Amino acid sequence: MGVAESLGAVVKAFPQARLVAFADLSSRMILSSSGTLSTTQEHLDKLCDQARASFDDPLFALSVEAFGEPHSAVVAGPDNVRVFLRSESEPADAICCICDHSIDLPAFVAKIRDTLESITHGG
Amino acid sequence: MNRGTLPILARLQSLQATSRIVPGGGRVIAEVTDRNPLAQLLRAANETMLGRSLRFDSSAGPSLTLDVSGRRVLRLTDAQGLPGAESCLGLEALEDEHKDALIKLLQAVAAPRHELRVTSGPIGRGGEEVSVGLPVALLADLVLIELNATGPDEEPAVAEVVVPPLEEIAATGAGLSGFAAAMGPGLVAWLIAGGSEDGRTAGPDEMVSHLQGFLDDEGEALESQLDTLSAAPGDPICMMLGATLLEGHSILCARIGPSVLLGVVEGDATKATLAAWRAALR
Repeated sequence: MGVAESLGAVVKAFPQARLVAFADLSSRMILSSSGTLSTTQEHLDKLCDQARASFDDPLFALSVEAFGEPHSAVVAGPDNVRVFLRSESEPADAICCICDHSIDLPAFVAKIRDTLESITHGG
Repeated sequence: MNRGTLPILARLQSLQATSRIVPGGGRVIAEVTDRNPLAQLLRAANETMLGRSLRFDSSAGPSLTLDVSGRRVLRLTDAQGLPGAESCLGLEALEDEHKDALIKLLQAVAAPRHELRVTSGPIGRGGEEVSVGLPVALLADLVLIELNATGPDEEPAVAEVVVPPLEEIAATGAGLSGFAAAMGPGLVAWLIAGGSEDGRTAGPDEMVSHLQGFLDDEGEALESQLDTLSAAPGDPICMMLGATLLEGHSILCARIGPSVLLGVVEGDATKATLAAWRAALR
């Protein structure tokens, strides 16, 4: 299954995921995306920047010091929930998502973790 | 599985469970490896139909004694090593307004990674009136514990997200303190800095102290990081950061107005957070 199909499968399984994107954090680029949310390139760039900021200091340093390197972040605001996962083997590979608050977050996080590792390993 | 059979299975399992009897007649209901001693405490109370006095002793030092009857906690009759117990001690009957304070005491005595013992004795002041007190089921709902779990607590037996209704969560209190309460026992340590809730804390002293030190050193940088992630500087935002967020430990940080909460979540950080966050924003 290709990257676009993998992302599409996530959106199909979780309609509350309005946008699911695969990004290269090192080059700050969204490489592929799927979902019902209409976005501009500016929106995608901002989402990628937010993913990078999530895995940045000072909270990154606190997490590393206390529990080891983090690979998962959830950011909830008044309007949506953003989920950012980095690959454990290729930390530049990431999935960035924008979801409704009603999403089943435990199941969703588990699903996109599997999807990310599958994409990273070419599965 | 038929939901009606769950209490029966849970009770059967409880009866078959190996209990380690300790000198003095008590029994160990949670070992140091038990990830959720609070669940064992509430189940012990929930299985008490006839009026009894239950004394819970933590190997960490604190203890408390409850009069329990008809699956209700009638009153708190003794507390040792538990700051804040005075608001519940000595009352004729615990009422709805006491539930938040009582939950904090239960969480403190049922601290993770410490052995928890229960000793049963005659009830202090009679337990025939079982319409008073706080239902154990209500307390369990507020801390997201399934009383009728049929498997070990560390096994995620069901996929469904079990959280109390938003109205119930909101009733636990507004703002970040209410958010922390609604997070349940998984939020093992936290503190709030800034605003009217400044200085509120819960959890082991060494963890709270570490979080406080971080905020003292990195408070401004943290505000900047949160601003980068929020729609506009100063907007409400809640963030979790961890290896998987589904197990192990995660960092929880939330901001509403001038108040910032920083905490540590043990176990599944994703389970309760969104419902608690939505309620906190109301």
